[in-house]
Amino acid sequence: MNRLWKEFSKGLWKDLPPFKLVLGLCPVLAVTNTADNGLGMGVAVIFVLTLSNLLVSLVRKLIPAKVRIACFIAISASLVVAVELLMQAFAYPLYQQLGIFVPLIVVNCIILGRAEAFASKNPPLLAVADGLGMGVGFAMSLTFLGALREGLGTGHIFGTNVVWPGFEPLGFMVEAPGAFVSLGVLLCIMNFAENVRRRRKGLRAVEGPTHDCGSCGACGSASNC
Amino acid sequence: MNDILKMMAVLSIICGLAGTSLTALKQATEPMIEEQVLTYVQAPAIKTVLSGYDNDPIKDRKDFDMGGRTVTAFPAIKDGRLMSVAFETSGKGYGGDIGVMVGFDVNSDTLSGIGITTMKETPGVGTRVAEHGFTTQFKGHGIESVELKKQGGDIDAVAGATISSTGTTAAVQKAVSIYKSLKQRLADGWT
Repeated sequence: MNRLWKEFSKGLWKDLPPFKLVLGLCPVLAVTNTADNGLGMGVAVIFVLTLSNLLVSLVRKLIPAKVRIACFIAISASLVVAVELLMQAFAYPLYQQLGIFVPLIVVNCIILGRAEAFASKNPPLLAVADGLGMGVGFAMSLTFLGALREGLGTGHIFGTNVVWPGFEPLGFMVEAPGAFVSLGVLLCIMNFAENVRRRRKGLRAVEGPTHDCGSCGACGSASNC
Repeated sequence: MNDILKMMAVLSIICGLAGTSLTALKQATEPMIEEQVLTYVQAPAIKTVLSGYDNDPIKDRKDFDMGGRTVTAFPAIKDGRLMSVAFETSGKGYGGDIGVMVGFDVNSDTLSGIGITTMKETPGVGTRVAEHGFTTQFKGHGIESVELKKQGGDIDAVAGATISSTGTTAAVQKAVSIYKSLKQRLADGWT
């Protein structure tokens, strides 16, 4: 139980996908012009990520190492098409909004990254916890970024007014450049906070986002962890 | 050698299973998706091209067979009498097909209006064919000689969007020819 919670909760802050792992930035930038869209995309990713982790983990011993990537892609692509069909059948307006970004979940690095780094090495229950945690973290981040941009850009969040009278909306925030600026500023704040925390603990400050290297171990900054 | 065989087998089985389950899902969701497209894509267009009816044009829609092609007609009925009817046709635009819902007044044989359902035209240029200035020109227009001015008709093309305007007009002409050949069958369609 403890282990399960650990795998679930790491996606919520320590390895928060867009801000700490800095993975899956394409949807993060593209669909966060409103909180609604961010949440919708997040929910679709939770669904795909959890199921793909489960399936990959179930068949992990059958898949030959040399064709594992192809197998992971086949699994996640099928799940994405399933999500697309279900979304068209039950939430058409959301599908109209997200449009091209739903099929793009296939190539969202988080899906393949978690399949490769976690699900292919761990039993199904842990893999589901990991996928769910990462998915929820991703959805949270997207909703937060969406709310921030929508709030500053239009003065509304989820369609309700959140600003004082006389507030001049920054239309730029809901356009594409606003996505880059707000993501950059958020990353900056998070890295700064992380370094303040590290200095307090007497650790050396690091450049760039930090995350649990046990879950990837591939990057050059492993020595800083 | 064994390795290669195993790889091929595993990959084929995974892809096969994926294909089969997706086919099943596609078949299961097909009717629901059709319903959703009707509600969210076609219904708003139908509301702009038909008026003064007391039925539900979407619920009363009927498929007509036109030499192998199926045309779905949406009727506007008032007091049990067919007032007007709408079809969706498409014409070649700048960024793909432009879907146009065309309404016909069956009593006066005129267009009761057109509405764009789907398009991938250049935002701000080609997309202006969906705006009032362009579409209202068709309202009340006779069904003969629906042409752009350049072709000798009386429809003003959207400036800078000749291809989009031509595509939309072509779709309307297609709808006119469908209307002409269906006219007799339409009258008996909803009585």
